[in-house]
Order: sequence, then structure tokens, then C-alpha cells
Amino acid sequence: MNIIEFKNLFGESELFGEKIIMKSDIAKSLQFLKENYGYNILKEIIAIDNRDDIELSYRLYSPDDDEDVIITTFVKGEAESVSKIFDSAVADEKEIFDLFGIKFTCNDELERLYMPEGWKGHPLRKNYEENDERLKWND
Amino acid sequence: MTNTNLLKLNLGPQHPSTHGVLRLILELDGEKIVSCKPDVGYLHRGMEKMAERLSYVQYYPTVDRIDYLAGFFYSELFCEIIEKALNVELSERVKAIRVLLLELNRIASHLLWIGAYLMDLGAVSPFFYTFRERELILKYFEKITGQRMMNNYFIFGGVRRDIFDIEDVEEFLEILKTKIKDYERIIDSNPIFLQRTKGKGVLEQNVALNGAITGVNLRASGVNLDFRTKHKLYEGYEFTPIVSEGKDCYTRYRARVLELNESSKLIKQAIEKLKQNSALNQTLIQPIGLKLPAGEFYSEIEAPRGLASCYVKSDGENKPYRLKWRTGSYYAVNLLRKLLKGTYLNDAIAIAGSLDIILPEVDK
Repeated sequence: MNIIEFKNLFGESELFGEKIIMKSDIAKSLQFLKENYGYNILKEIIAIDNRDDIELSYRLYSPDDDEDVIITTFVKGEAESVSKIFDSAVADEKEIFDLFGIKFTCNDELERLYMPEGWKGHPLRKNYEENDERLKWND
Repeated sequence: MTNTNLLKLNLGPQHPSTHGVLRLILELDGEKIVSCKPDVGYLHRGMEKMAERLSYVQYYPTVDRIDYLAGFFYSELFCEIIEKALNVELSERVKAIRVLLLELNRIASHLLWIGAYLMDLGAVSPFFYTFRERELILKYFEKITGQRMMNNYFIFGGVRRDIFDIEDVEEFLEILKTKIKDYERIIDSNPIFLQRTKGKGVLEQNVALNGAITGVNLRASGVNLDFRTKHKLYEGYEFTPIVSEGKDCYTRYRARVLELNESSKLIKQAIEKLKQNSALNQTLIQPIGLKLPAGEFYSEIEAPRGLASCYVKSDGENKPYRLKWRTGSYYAVNLLRKLLKGTYLNDAIAIAGSLDIILPEVDK
């Protein structure tokens, strides 16, 4: 699909490099792309801590067109879950919750994934401090 | 039936057929699985956090530990990122060497899976047969790279040194051809194996796509999607992705056996290319003090367990600002929640095993 075409459909989006930056309505636009343009694989969700906010990039793939499209949004603390649209997002969102502390609304499977229960902080945040007592076992 | 009558069963994390440390929390109603919740993270090494601390060359030796059975693929991904960022073109011989080793690695990985899967189902001897052939590949890797598994052989812009003793590979391919027939004779006509796999763990196409399942598992559900067809390394190679319609455990097993033949074909073509291009001709990137230009870089490849990709965001420093791995097994584990629901406990191992999950790849 042509990115310009997408921009026309979702007026508030902004073209930046190969990414489409959305201000809101992530779930709605993903569903739209899935239903109308055959983007039926969500390859992954990439989270990046930009210090001021968290950038979430949804990399969608269309097997018919053999083409990627990246939908990007910036969030703080909370984000809209797309797990109802793509089942694979359950896994991605769990990981992002564990490592970045983003709470996805309507994803009821959010819990610690890699880190043990009761771990403080989210390791991939840039302001993460390693002050957990379990790390000091060797001192 | 009320919830109080359900039995909670922990399958793993030490169960031998979970291929690592996967814990499945199953809720059973009699022998029927009502719900399955995978619990991962026992092998978490913080691969992504580690990347933000180490320079590129310091981080590089750890990447093939993401999937120790297919280490070359992850080395390739990471080298590709650096090469893309610095616009380094690979010479024909380097490309052919990489394809040769990647496909040998794929065969080794599939062979291990075939043996281990049969072992899960209670047949012990195929494990020894497939390991016998896999050993030949590992011996060759050791000869070329000095290591049997974590090879660290691809380097930024090329390979560590030129390849030699190609006859070994040709000889191996001849051996493998006859051995595949042996596997088929011993496994495909085994009534117990067929009963335990045929019609079990049916993975519908839309469920697979929705769960971002890629690789052999997706192709066994009838979707023709092989990321090798569009990968730069595989340009000029001819092969047919194995697409089959069966959707069950048996089809996934057959697809992996057939992939052995396809990989052999690719290796033969790579050997031809090696014979045509005898000069290594590589422009290596000086790894000490290496800084990537600011920007975002992405590489992907068809690994034995589905699509693997690496994403790097660089801010111009000697370390990545953010590095993210995508691995096939992670999504396969996620799929188990749906795939095991409603099946019987004694099929759980056969179904989970058929997806070829490996845990270091899941836990990262």
C-alpha cells in the first residue's frame, strides 16, 4: 500500500521516513490495515525509551504484497492494546510491560515475564537503577 | 463442572521434552486441557540490556547464544546491521560462504529437532541416528571456525578466514541423501508415530497468521511465505519453499524432513559459486572504536524457527541506543495458549514439540 494513501485516510498521521506516525487510534488503524490491505501479520512491536516518552513501533507485514509498514506512536505510561486484533501482540505487550512498564489497556495477561515477581523497576528504561537487593548477593 | 474440580499441573520447567526450561501451567479437567499458560524467563540473560552497555564488537560474541542451535543466523543478522549502516557490500565468495554455512546450520538444527521430537514421542533410536549425521556438520564447523556451536565466524564485512575442504560438505550431502531415506523408512511407516501426530495439533491458517507464526510452522499450514526468497544473500539461488496443507504435527515433521533436501540444493549451488569465485576479496570493518551513524537499522532472515530479525537504533555512539531481537519461538510459545486448549494431556507434548520451540530464543 502507498503510504500517501494511508495518510489521506487518517488525516492526523504524519509521514516520517518510512514510518507513519499516529497520534491516536492505533488499534483502529491497525484493524483497518488488516481488513482492507491484507496486513495480517504483526511482525513485532518495538519499544524505545526516548527519555521524554516511549516510542512504540508496530511493524506490520502483508504476505501478498511482500511489504512492511511501520505505524509509530508515542506514549507515556499507558497505551492501547491491540491484542484483540493480533493475537501475537499479547506476547509483545507482555514483554514491553515487563521491560518498559507500559500498561496496555484491555490486555488482561500483563504480568512479569522475564523478571521475577516483585522485581522493582523496568530494566530497559533509561532511568532504570540497579538497586535491587538481589543483585548484591556477591558483595 | 466448577473450577474447583480442575487440576493444576506444572509441565516443566525441568521436563525433558520442553527443550529447555519452559513451564506450562495446565488446568486439567480429567485429561482434557482447559487452559494453558506458558511461563518463560528462566533463561533470561538480558540480551537487549547487555547491548546497551557494550560496544558492537564486545556484544558480537554473545549474539549466537540467542539460539545456540542456529548461531550463524544471529551472527548474520548482527553483521548485516553493521554492514547496512556502513554501506559495505559483500563479495560473491563471502556471500556464498555465508549461504553454505547458514544452510548447513539449518540442516543441523532440523536434524536435532527430528531426533528430539521422536524422543519426545518415545522412540529413542532416531535420536542417535540424526545426531550421527549432525556430528558430521559440527565436525566441519569445528574445522572451519574452531568451534562446534557458538562459532563467531562471520565478522563485520566478511568472514574470519577463507573456507576450505569443500569436499567434506559434498561427501556429507551424499551421506545425508541416503540417510534421509532411512529416516523416512523408519519413521514414516511407524504406526505409533503416525497415530500420535496425524490430525493432532491442527493449526489453522488464520490462527497462525494472527499469532505471527512464521517459518516451517506457517508453511505447513499452507501459507507460501519464506523470507529467504527476498533476502539479499540468497539472490540468484533456486529453491522451492516447502508448502504443505496438512496443518497437523505430522505435516510439520514432514516439512522439516523435506527442508533438508531444499537446504542441500542450496548448499550445492553455494559450492558451485565458491568454485567460480576463488578470491575472498573482503573489505573488513575495523571493529575497534566502531561507531554507527545515527539512525535506525533493521535486518531479517529466515531462521530454522521462523523469522528472526534485529533492530538497532543508534545515536552515533559506539553502543546501540536500543537493540531488539525478534525470534520465531517466542511467538510459538505464545501460540501454545490457543493450540493446547481443548486437547488431551497426552497430546500436549506431541503438539508443543512439533512447533520446534527452543527456550534461549524465547528468553533472550
